[in-house]
Amino acid sequence: MTKIKSILISNRGEIAIRISKTAKGMGIKTFGIKTSKEPSAYYLQFMDEIIDFTELNNDIPEFLDIEHIIYSMKENNIDAVHPGYGYLAENPYFAQKCIDEGIIFIGPSPDSIYKLGNKTIAKQLASSHNIPLLEGSNGNIRNPYHAKQIAKKIGYPVILKAASGGGGRGMRIVEKEEEIEKMFRMAQNEAEKAFSDPSVFMEKYVRNPRHIEFQILSDHHENIIHLGERECSIQRKHQKLIEESPSVALNKDLRKIMGDSAIKIAKVSKYKNAGTVEFLLDESGNFYFMEMNTRIQVEHPVTEMVTGYDLIEWQIRIAQNEKLTIKQEDVKQNGWAIECRINAEDVQASFAPYLGTIEKIQFSNGKNSRFDTGVTEGSNITASFDSMLAKLISYGETREKAIANSLAALNKLYIKGIKTTIPFCKEVLNHPKFQSGDISTSFILNDMKQLYYQEKDEELIAAFWASLNHNIELDDNDKTFIDYEKGKNINPWLMNKRLKSL
Amino acid sequence: MDINGKTYKDFKERANRFKHQNGPDKIKKQHDKGKLHARERLALLFDKDTFEELDAFVTSATPDTGFGKIDEAFGDGVVIGYGRIDGRLVYVFSQDFTTMGGSLGAVHAKKIIKVQDLALRVGAPIIGINDSGGARIQEGVASLAGYTSIFHRNVQSSGIIPQISMILGPAAGGAVYSPALTDFVFMAKRTSFMFLTGPNVVKEVLNEDVSFDELGGAEVHAKKSGVANFMYEDEENAILGVKKLLSFFPSNNLENPPYIDTKDKKDKNVDKLRDIVPDDPNKPYDVKKVIELIIDKDTFFEVSEHYAANIVVGFARLEGKSIGIVANQPKVLAGVLDINSSIKGARFVRFCDAFNIPILTLEDVPGFLPGLDQEHNGIIKHGAKLLFAFSEASVPKITVILRKAYGGAFCVMNSKNIGGDYNFAWPTAEIAVMGPEGAVSILYRKELQNADDPKVLRKEFAAKYRNEVANPYIADEKGYIDEVIDPADTRKKLITAFDSLENKHVEPPSRKHGNIPL
Repeated sequence: MTKIKSILISNRGEIAIRISKTAKGMGIKTFGIKTSKEPSAYYLQFMDEIIDFTELNNDIPEFLDIEHIIYSMKENNIDAVHPGYGYLAENPYFAQKCIDEGIIFIGPSPDSIYKLGNKTIAKQLASSHNIPLLEGSNGNIRNPYHAKQIAKKIGYPVILKAASGGGGRGMRIVEKEEEIEKMFRMAQNEAEKAFSDPSVFMEKYVRNPRHIEFQILSDHHENIIHLGERECSIQRKHQKLIEESPSVALNKDLRKIMGDSAIKIAKVSKYKNAGTVEFLLDESGNFYFMEMNTRIQVEHPVTEMVTGYDLIEWQIRIAQNEKLTIKQEDVKQNGWAIECRINAEDVQASFAPYLGTIEKIQFSNGKNSRFDTGVTEGSNITASFDSMLAKLISYGETREKAIANSLAALNKLYIKGIKTTIPFCKEVLNHPKFQSGDISTSFILNDMKQLYYQEKDEELIAAFWASLNHNIELDDNDKTFIDYEKGKNINPWLMNKRLKSL
Repeated sequence: MDINGKTYKDFKERANRFKHQNGPDKIKKQHDKGKLHARERLALLFDKDTFEELDAFVTSATPDTGFGKIDEAFGDGVVIGYGRIDGRLVYVFSQDFTTMGGSLGAVHAKKIIKVQDLALRVGAPIIGINDSGGARIQEGVASLAGYTSIFHRNVQSSGIIPQISMILGPAAGGAVYSPALTDFVFMAKRTSFMFLTGPNVVKEVLNEDVSFDELGGAEVHAKKSGVANFMYEDEENAILGVKKLLSFFPSNNLENPPYIDTKDKKDKNVDKLRDIVPDDPNKPYDVKKVIELIIDKDTFFEVSEHYAANIVVGFARLEGKSIGIVANQPKVLAGVLDINSSIKGARFVRFCDAFNIPILTLEDVPGFLPGLDQEHNGIIKHGAKLLFAFSEASVPKITVILRKAYGGAFCVMNSKNIGGDYNFAWPTAEIAVMGPEGAVSILYRKELQNADDPKVLRKEFAAKYRNEVANPYIADEKGYIDEVIDPADTRKKLITAFDSLENKHVEPPSRKHGNIPL
């Protein structure tokens, strides 16, 4: 076992604080990076030592500056690096460089990152080991006739996707054979315009799927387990907003089959450390492998609350070459956890990012709630970084209790100075379909009539305050009489001088 | 004339067509984008029932280019006219995005030019509400010529009547020059954009992906470029801001600003001023707290709040009379002067000077920001701008030195010899060629080199320097400061001093204009 004594956390915001808390609890010294864009950021207060990147004068964003990060770690003799999520977390080149320089990268091997990061390779890996996949064209479609053939084989509905696309762009759903050739041509045109690459591939389209993912832990001693599933179907434009664990859609048997498939993927790709296998689950209980995320995820807390394990701690322990002492039989899901992402976005303006300063922030940490925040009073929200400020995770013995506790926690959460997605979360949690568990990735689009929650009599109260305020203003206006005459009555001596000098 | 006769019938029909053209569906279109309609903005801006529209029924010019058809709409995409704002006559043009995208054609430009000419002839302020897709391509060079005529009038009116621009939609390409030439620019978050070259062209030429907001949104111009002086959450608040701003200046450069009876007593207790500057000269404080205590209650209206925050500029009232304030902000960058703050201060001083608004300077500046970045980007000429502006200004100018006033920055911040009428200092003032630490390194170089404990010795020397060389009484006794005052007396002294300068006039040198470093 190579004991890690110091970790550089090459990330920011709530995850940097999260990692630091666990690391410190393990007696590990934490290093954080200070950037010029937020030199007094909240997460810096949680680091034992701060490495100053504010003087760096190149164009590379600080958290992507591999050269300087590696250099800083060597300069300060830091044993390991935890990349968090995003930034360099899934950069195989960075992971390799760490290894080359004798630094422990807390995550999987560069090879796993690379293979699983490439959708084609990942899918081939899955299919060659009999893991269910969405049937597809397995490559780019050559022409409309080819499209028709493949679609016939897969069976409608199908979805055409741009090979170079991503983030939900460049996708077209085709319901019937009559449309396929026209749609294919349109998809190619759009792909060319948006991504400069007309390549398009096809997949079976699953209507109203649920997004189910499994948390994997794998050590360097051939032990691989899964810690149950998370359901992340509440998404908007492919961005997760609310996640929960476990999922109402899984029973014991389905959980075993899917869990085993997840473990299999990790096994055949020789995956180490923490990772997440994503599946789509259709309305008939069929599941399909989508991809594997080779990092710790934003929504990991719901798994932690329900299984009782500290995932960051296990990441560090596995990186130290320790053996996983948890056996699959030991893993139990107790109760229910729901996470609400709190983003600085204006829900009423189509979730446009909201910039500003947090004037006040108030919440109550209880035994049933956990607030992982990256911001505090005085924090500046700028366009330089992601809009996610914090995560509010609530627990309950049952799903109903978890929902009730989430709503209670959201009501106690008060953030002044910026607009957040709190009203959106309230609307989802109050929605009858969410409460009955009847959700899918098209929930936000199809089932939500209004995207933000309105408190009882909210409009009435707003109207009351508005008219009260208006009356106060009217009174004020009467008091502030603007006297223009005084300004026009200019001493003749002065006026004379002014006129002469113009 | 018979109301039911043909003459009236034609009149009414035409009025109906006009009403129909500006119907609720047009208003809804703007609302869906998060914007107000051109006429709704005017309804909010002007006092009830005072707005008179001009040229409402003009029709668009026929395109020279023969390219594309133009709408048969009245007004050619802009609403012009005049009305009263808080009782004062103001001219306005408000571009109508719902008609031909608010694009500027020859007739549209002519309308704007009409109100610009009228405002100048009458000596009244003019407000421009920009919300336009830009030049009307179909009309070709006629559109460009329209723009340039507008810009020329912006320049001809500059310093004679106040000109305010509101950007409440897109303003791209050449269209941004008009606002840039006016005295103040207002923007609203999320719906305002200003840039010379849009994201599409940036993508084509530089292959960079930028959003409208990143390139020229309200935040960018309020915080980074300084082009926008005011940024509001939404249009309604921006319009209220314009009205507030107007109350501080006169309608033209011959008048004095209007007076508001704030009922705030001259000798109200401001003893708290004694507590604001910390004993430790290296500790920062917020100069806005000083400002708030000195001026009439709640009258401070800050300009360019988010840009170059190391200098604070804005309007306020002293016993009801409008003044402009320029103050170093020790809380940001220790209050140093740098390129951006010099430019921000200079433009504000020159506006006040043009419109007979007295200037109060609150000084606490350790010097200019050192470094390659500042030097290579010309801090020398930009710092000189502020000096030129102060020196040239012939309005009553009063300075109060709150704490540091070192070197070149001392000269620049309205010192006595560049025309300060009254220069006061607080007992906490430190006036010297150089700050204690720097001076001590030079004056006592040998002693420090040979010392056993240079750090302690340095501290001793610095304290000695502060007490004996940098104290304000030396400057007072030599006449460079008129009086060292008790902070608690500041408000009273300033009101009395400004009152005495009411009829100040300085004969400007007879020249076409100076050559301020640009």
